[in-house]
Amino acid sequence: MSSRIEVKLPSEMSCLGVPDAVLMEIGSDLDCCRKALEELSTAVIEACTNAMEHGNQLDEERSIEIIFQIAELDVTVLVLDQGPGFDFQNWQPSEELMRERGRGILIMREFTDQLEFGRHNDGRFQVRLVKKLAPKSEED
Amino acid sequence: MKIKERKRDGVVILEMSGKLMGGPDSELFDETLKTLIHEDCRNILVSLEKVKWVNSTGLGILISGYTTLRKSGGELKLLKVSDRIENIFIVSKLFTVFEAYQDEDEAVRSFS
Repeated sequence: MSSRIEVKLPSEMSCLGVPDAVLMEIGSDLDCCRKALEELSTAVIEACTNAMEHGNQLDEERSIEIIFQIAELDVTVLVLDQGPGFDFQNWQPSEELMRERGRGILIMREFTDQLEFGRHNDGRFQVRLVKKLAPKSEED
Repeated sequence: MKIKERKRDGVVILEMSGKLMGGPDSELFDETLKTLIHEDCRNILVSLEKVKWVNSTGLGILISGYTTLRKSGGELKLLKVSDRIENIFIVSKLFTVFEAYQDEDEAVRSFS
């Protein structure tokens, strides 16, 4: 099985539930572990939060695009924004435990099997998240 | 996000519902806590039972609330954190900071 879903959203935080709803709907058709999908969804929500807030500066005229590629063994999600991007190579997480911001990349990295930042072939900034799909467990 | 407030044995229980994700949620939570502190209610139990998900900005709201209450001599504890949200607290190492309970009776007793 292989399929592709594309979603375009305005840079409004109230739309952050959309990628979660799409992934849960995808999950209802797949015989896979719910925890893996929830972790992927959490990571994608972080990518979308960053794309709207830091990439598009919450400019409602600018949109983000989310592309879901569903394969038999994994799901790949691309999150594209219209901002300048950032220098991931030199990014360092803060060590301050009680910081109120700055955990998005950490969460994305912990909850995915592959995480890449770069440019899409049309020049937009892109985050690529890949999650392997474990088979359903007894808890699911 | 919505907040429903009730009191039990000197503890204010804030029942959150929806998605905890910053923006207007942050203002609503801050205002609620400020009002409670002004009313001398400083033992706060935040129930996440009906919260579908939290993002890193939402975590920031809870951290801000925790810090505000500690500075005013109070405490903020968590109730009924789902597995999905618990995972975020674990990777963020915040479960070393927040006290969390599954049982409301036990959580309320912990303030005394």
